[in-house]
Amino acid sequence: MSVTIEAREVTKIFPVAKGIFSKKHYIRAVDRVSLGIRENEIVALVGESGCGKSTLGRLLLGLIKPTEGKILYMGKDIWSLKGREYEEFRRNAQLIPQDPYSALNPMKNILSQLTPPLLKYKIARNRKEAVKRAAELLELVGLVPPEDFFKRFTCRLSGGQLQRISIARAISVQPKFIVADEAVSMLDASLRIEILDILLNLQRKFKTAYLFITHDLAIARYFAREGRTAIMYLGNIVEIGETENVIQKPLHPYTQVLIQAVPVPDPDLAAKRGLPKLRSLEIPSLINPPPGCKFNTRCPYAEKICEEKVPELREVKGRLVACHLY
Amino acid sequence: MRWIVKRAIIALLTIWTAFTITFVLIRLMPGNFIEMMILYYMNTYGYSEEEAKELVYALYNVNLDEPIWKQYLDFITKLLQGNWGVTYCSRAPVLDCLLYALPWTVFLLSISMTISFVIGIGLGMFMAYRRGGLFDGACSVISSISSAIPNFILGLLLLYFLAIQYPLFPARGSYDITIEPGFTLEYVSSVLYHAFLPMMAYVLTSFGGWALAMRGSTIRVLGEDYVIAAEARGLKSRRITWTYVGRNAILPLFTSFAISLGYMFGGSVFIESYFAYTGVGQVIGLALSFRDYPLIQGGFLLIITAVVVSNFIAELLYGVLDPRIRRGGGYE
Amino acid sequence: MSKGAKLKSFLYEHIYIPLRILAKSKTSLVGLIIVSVYVVMAIVGPMIVPLDLTPHREKRFMPPSLEHPLGTDFAGRDIFAQIVHGGPPVLRVAFLAAFFTVLLGTVIGIASGYIGGKVDLVLMSFTDIFLTIPGFPLLMIIAVWLMQSRLPVTEPIVALLLSITSWAGLARAIRSQVLAIKKEPYIEVVKCLGLGRFHVIFKEILPNMMPYIAINFMLSSIGAIYAYTGLLALGLLPYSPGNWGAMIHMAQAYTGTIGTGWWYVLAPSMAIIILQIGLVFLSSGIDKIFNPRLREE
Repeated sequence: MSVTIEAREVTKIFPVAKGIFSKKHYIRAVDRVSLGIRENEIVALVGESGCGKSTLGRLLLGLIKPTEGKILYMGKDIWSLKGREYEEFRRNAQLIPQDPYSALNPMKNILSQLTPPLLKYKIARNRKEAVKRAAELLELVGLVPPEDFFKRFTCRLSGGQLQRISIARAISVQPKFIVADEAVSMLDASLRIEILDILLNLQRKFKTAYLFITHDLAIARYFAREGRTAIMYLGNIVEIGETENVIQKPLHPYTQVLIQAVPVPDPDLAAKRGLPKLRSLEIPSLINPPPGCKFNTRCPYAEKICEEKVPELREVKGRLVACHLY
Repeated sequence: MRWIVKRAIIALLTIWTAFTITFVLIRLMPGNFIEMMILYYMNTYGYSEEEAKELVYALYNVNLDEPIWKQYLDFITKLLQGNWGVTYCSRAPVLDCLLYALPWTVFLLSISMTISFVIGIGLGMFMAYRRGGLFDGACSVISSISSAIPNFILGLLLLYFLAIQYPLFPARGSYDITIEPGFTLEYVSSVLYHAFLPMMAYVLTSFGGWALAMRGSTIRVLGEDYVIAAEARGLKSRRITWTYVGRNAILPLFTSFAISLGYMFGGSVFIESYFAYTGVGQVIGLALSFRDYPLIQGGFLLIITAVVVSNFIAELLYGVLDPRIRRGGGYE
Repeated sequence: MSKGAKLKSFLYEHIYIPLRILAKSKTSLVGLIIVSVYVVMAIVGPMIVPLDLTPHREKRFMPPSLEHPLGTDFAGRDIFAQIVHGGPPVLRVAFLAAFFTVLLGTVIGIASGYIGGKVDLVLMSFTDIFLTIPGFPLLMIIAVWLMQSRLPVTEPIVALLLSITSWAGLARAIRSQVLAIKKEPYIEVVKCLGLGRFHVIFKEILPNMMPYIAINFMLSSIGAIYAYTGLLALGLLPYSPGNWGAMIHMAQAYTGTIGTGWWYVLAPSMAIIILQIGLVFLSSGIDKIFNPRLREE
């Protein structure tokens, strides 16, 4: 299967605390990351907040420009695409943001936010058709009757309804690739599975590739059960492989710690899980990351080499891990 | 510190812009004003061209025989040295005329500003605490009306009805000229008596704006978590009112200071003229009716400098009161 | 949709809903009524009430009567007719100036916030300068030189001048709004959808600015009426009889010298004051007509 979108050795550096008199600092939000997502594939990207997972998502969508490295869409660098080719990429890479309340413009009604892309990409030939198509889309995400939602504004809709509209808009242009950035984390727990199932059904129907960004391993496990899961720590992907493998037999110490941190309903079981203890609870600052492996300050297995050499992603037991242990 | 430097640069740029505007107006106005004035002196007073030129150049600080960049530099340098030209009517230095009148205007405006600010703050806070009630409704309407009435019209109405039709207050002057100026009760009360109507014209047309701004600001602050937390901790309500709410609600109002002062200074041209009050406004008013251009220009520059400088002081004060600004963060 | 249905839905969205929201607040409703009366008077009035400016020395300063509802002026002319005919220029200048102000403020505010960087620094320093320069004194000196230059001082030119002193506040407000909205996820989504910069600015950001634009439209027309009538009252704009500001000028001149009737002082004063009050009242609720929560009710 062909690779739809790929990050190749991508780095993104952001300046912080800028001013005329104060010294500029830089953070490496994403540090030489490579990740390819194939057609019809789901990849869950898991990490703590601030680890650079949203930045990676935005890089793949072409919303921000990488400082180094390339983003390839169908094998071509998206930052050198022109005219029709760029438009083609634009149409095929869509975003479902985290907060449903700010995913839609509060000053515009729902219909006027659904129709412009349909008209732009000639999915509908005229306004009348666009309205009809918008109605179909709302039905597809379970908002019936769709006419009831056309003239509504975001302030009177629930989070679940808004997230459905947000999904409907993302799929309206029939993209090949969608970044869902914490798409269910702001919803009530009872709604999450429902929205995830809608996304999964649509994925099966349209064979879209997904990058599913989340901080919640349980959600990653549910959503990417047939795909892969990537674990990110301070700008690097530290482990990536089949979801069940990664979660059942984590290899990277950080993945092990993450999985240990998931609360288990059975206290006896929780006590039995003899996983390693962290050396330090403090997450190092991105402005001044530790040399070598960035996890070495906290890693229970850290050795001398970890402070000196940056581990590369290597194939271990059918997946990729960046750790000197293997 | 960075913030103060930034504000100081803006203040200097503002004064410089004002200087430049006046230069552009004199020099680049279509119909070339300076040449017209030279011709005017030659034709009306029979001066020779040389004499007329010399006179006009002295009056307006502009020498047409020099290249434009040098004219501009000379103009700015002379302004900075305090050489603002001489008045057309009395040939007295412009700056002297204005500085002589300035204390009266400063007296009138600072007292009016303080009174309207204090009334506005008090009323605004009171309205915010009683929001939605009858008192709030009535005061909102009164405040809106206050902010709607142009100060020059209220000045005229006060003059006509309270000084001429029913002469409860003096119609002219800043004090009774039969009284010897000095620190005597008689003199001070005469000054206050004469200042009463002009002050009313300023205060009644500007307290409403402050009150409405303060009302909005207070309501915002009352909804803040720290106020709710202070109430929950059981602090005395008077202490909450002043140290938590009042202080934080007043701060945003400082940003309207320049606009309000500029509005009052603009109004002073009318109000001081109407009441023949011997301040800068009256000087400018007279200069306008005699078309005394150097004096008008000087008055404009003095007003701008005064507003910019007092605004800068207000901003410094704001910086001292608001630690977020002092720490050097930007403001949006 | 048929043409009739389109018109109906247009009227419903742009006339009926805003009016319904305004009518909820008594203050805004009173303001709306006052301003409407002024607008209707300005359109219809001059057609009904003839303006006769020939002096009648024998009728000078006559108090209000049936024949002259607002009395006569220093030349024995009917004040009521002058008030009626003085309305249109004031309203024209006020609304034109407000339009220019909103245009300038919005363009500069959006450019500054959206482009950012050096453009932002330059535009905002410029804005800060114009925010501090007192507007009316600046207008005074420009008007003085404008009079001197013998340029034709037409209403659009006056309106443009008035807008120069009042755009800065709006530009600042719009800039900080654009800075906030630029980071909103829905803007990122629209960028992903490839709808382009034009769509982002005019179809996504601009609708969010409407409350500020509406309020500032009202506030700058209030400011423009102050400045316009004020400049006329100082005699700094070409004199035209039957103009409210010019009437204030004459009333003041006669008050200070040979005296005048209370009606001559009161008529133009009240004409201006009531209009200003109407605009202030209306402006207190004008931003609400864009509030989606209220629109949906």
